[in-house]
Amino acid sequence: MNFELLLFIVFALVAAVSSLMMITRKNAVISAVFLVLNFFALAGLYLLLNAQFIAVVQIIVYAGAIMVLFLFVLMLLNTGKEEAILHGKKPIKYFAIFIAAVVFLQVAYLLVFGSGSFTSNPDIEASLSSGTVETIGREIYTKYIIPFEAAGFLLLAATIGALILAKKKFE
Amino acid sequence: MNSIPIEYYLILSAFMFSIGVTGVLIRRNAIVVFMSIELMLNSANLTLVAFSSYLGNPIGQVFVFFVMTVAAAEAAVGLAIIIAIFRNKLTVNIDEINIFKW
Amino acid sequence: MGNIIINDLWSFLKPEIFIAGGIFIILLADLVIRDNRKAIHFTALIILIAAFASALLQMGTESFIFYLGKGNNHGLLAVDPMSTFIKLITIFSTILIVIFTITSEEFKGSKFKSGEFYTLLFGMLLGMLLLSSGADLIIIYVSLELLSLSSYVLAGFIAGSNRSSEASLKYVIYGATSSGIMLFGISILYGLTGTTNLYAIHTILVSPHVNYLTLGLSILMIFIGIGFKISAVPFHFWTPDVYEGSPLPVTAYLSVASKAAGFALLIRFIKVGFISSVGTNGFWNFYENFDWQLFLIILSIASMTVGNLTALWQNNVKRMLAYSSIAHAGYMLLAIAVLSEKGMLAFLVYIAIYMFMNLGAFYAVMLVANKKGNEEISSFAGLGYKNPYLAFGLSIFLISLTGIPPTGGFIGKLYLFIALLDGDMYWPALIALLNTVISLYYYVRIIKEMYLTKALDDTTIETSKTELTFMFALVAPILVFGIYFTPLVNFCTNFVRILGF
Repeated sequence: MNFELLLFIVFALVAAVSSLMMITRKNAVISAVFLVLNFFALAGLYLLLNAQFIAVVQIIVYAGAIMVLFLFVLMLLNTGKEEAILHGKKPIKYFAIFIAAVVFLQVAYLLVFGSGSFTSNPDIEASLSSGTVETIGREIYTKYIIPFEAAGFLLLAATIGALILAKKKFE
Repeated sequence: MNSIPIEYYLILSAFMFSIGVTGVLIRRNAIVVFMSIELMLNSANLTLVAFSSYLGNPIGQVFVFFVMTVAAAEAAVGLAIIIAIFRNKLTVNIDEINIFKW
Repeated sequence: MGNIIINDLWSFLKPEIFIAGGIFIILLADLVIRDNRKAIHFTALIILIAAFASALLQMGTESFIFYLGKGNNHGLLAVDPMSTFIKLITIFSTILIVIFTITSEEFKGSKFKSGEFYTLLFGMLLGMLLLSSGADLIIIYVSLELLSLSSYVLAGFIAGSNRSSEASLKYVIYGATSSGIMLFGISILYGLTGTTNLYAIHTILVSPHVNYLTLGLSILMIFIGIGFKISAVPFHFWTPDVYEGSPLPVTAYLSVASKAAGFALLIRFIKVGFISSVGTNGFWNFYENFDWQLFLIILSIASMTVGNLTALWQNNVKRMLAYSSIAHAGYMLLAIAVLSEKGMLAFLVYIAIYMFMNLGAFYAVMLVANKKGNEEISSFAGLGYKNPYLAFGLSIFLISLTGIPPTGGFIGKLYLFIALLDGDMYWPALIALLNTVISLYYYVRIIKEMYLTKALDDTTIETSKTELTFMFALVAPILVFGIYFTPLVNFCTNFVRILGF
């Protein structure tokens, strides 16, 4: 067993278990903390995949910014614990789990089954260079400048929208 | 390069995706529902990065960059909406927020 | 290099540039002349008219911009007749929505922030414009999200209203989930083909090296995102609640413009994802062993049946129109499902008329709701005597939505049935016909309420001359196109083509 595979197994297990814990905890704050753990594990996987830039951004943006926002709102609203998740009167929840299991099996089967047709041609050089800040920066600022600008407008709209919705009303 | 077959990554991301879908379906706390949606986006990101790395082309990672921007914006707007609702109804439980039938 | 990009931008992206610049102008104007709301309405109108004119001037251009590969057959955005048509529709309906906003009672008072409202409205419009010509999954995803995010906020725009913020929450939860599923589908598609450009994907799909099952899964997932935008059954759950809870101008906008942009994406996606080439007889050919026509037909039939049958039980007119818009999405989807150039023409004619009649119906409902404060069907009782002009206008819109001659709605349906029969789709045509008959019941129910039911109270419903004039400006095209429709059809014929096919 080589070191890379070992690292993969560790990160993948952490990611899988923490995502499972995330949706089963009654206390939303603990859920959020497990999600942060999941994001860190993903960042590790990205490093294994030679995607250094994305790995760093994952930690800064997701774990750093987005999850802090979530935790902040959770603490601000102080919503308390959710009642037992699976003991609601609704059998629909079991149905939901069943659906999810079917979705997982289907997706996994099709992905693995279809992987023969993924035009995969592992090329170490290309893979290493494609994950650097330089390559991604060049792509974004030349070919993908229009989506980049659109993303700017997206953030502007989100800022204004969040202000409009959450601003305290003076009456 | 990689001794790990790409299928492993794909199965992990399929697993996280279905966990995210389950979370959206069974959780009643709107904030946790949003966290589950973030999980779904992350599983898609994992697929994109895995393919990008195995194909040796950077487009997938550029895509992930944009997905992160969108996720941040979506989280901000979603949480702002939740705060607005909380101010009116003092709850974030989506079962209790129903003037309309769900 | 730099010059080429700037030339490209200016010669092909004028509408987008006007709208993007407009966002900043409105933001600045809002700071400077905050108290003068009229001036802001007026600025928004001017910008929109400029964008509309530039989109008109763009008619007939066919080009990619921002080439990605070495050849010139891949680009980030495709400016082509179909996208220009959708741009015209979306910009024009935005102009109408600005007029809605000026007269809306929900948007009066000091709480309404017009600067922010127009910024978000323009953000939504910019998303639609980019979406209608997006030829790369990255720009498609980003502009779809720009469109959705702005509309989530607009749905909850009335501060302190339970209904409005609840609509917004439902919209954002359903919307974010479906776009998450769509993103997963996109990631699989990227893995299968190694590119995000739709046209490059097309060249790869033509060669049969792709696993069609996995491809089918990814296309199905992407379809969930698109189906959500056009509110086709079974992705329609959000529609009635969001339409009912949102401010009325926003509802009207969602039902027309956002749907049109969704259809533009759908058409480009179908042509790239399902179709290998367009035959000489105008029919579209499939890839081998990859026939999705039945899937589209089932979706469209489900949409129109569910929409029409559920609309029968509604007592809130806004909610009824929401279900009716699901049904109309079904008709338009059926026109596309013929998968021929005639079907495309039917779709374009239909959506052009749909814009006038649906916005008109919403406007008339808004005029009533302005006075009554709600949209319950009982509020319309006796309207035929209280305000005969308004009742007459609303009746025309409803008759046209049903599809009875001599209104424009009939022409839309006529071309739909011609395309269906041309494609030998007799069963779907029959079901669509039956659906039209069902829809007659609930549209006529409102007309009956207006003319045959006695009003419960004697509140008057007065409308100003300007409001009536504007409403009749919407009635006029419906009546004119109902009788003299050749110009409209000829106009639409110019826009059937899509780049590369």
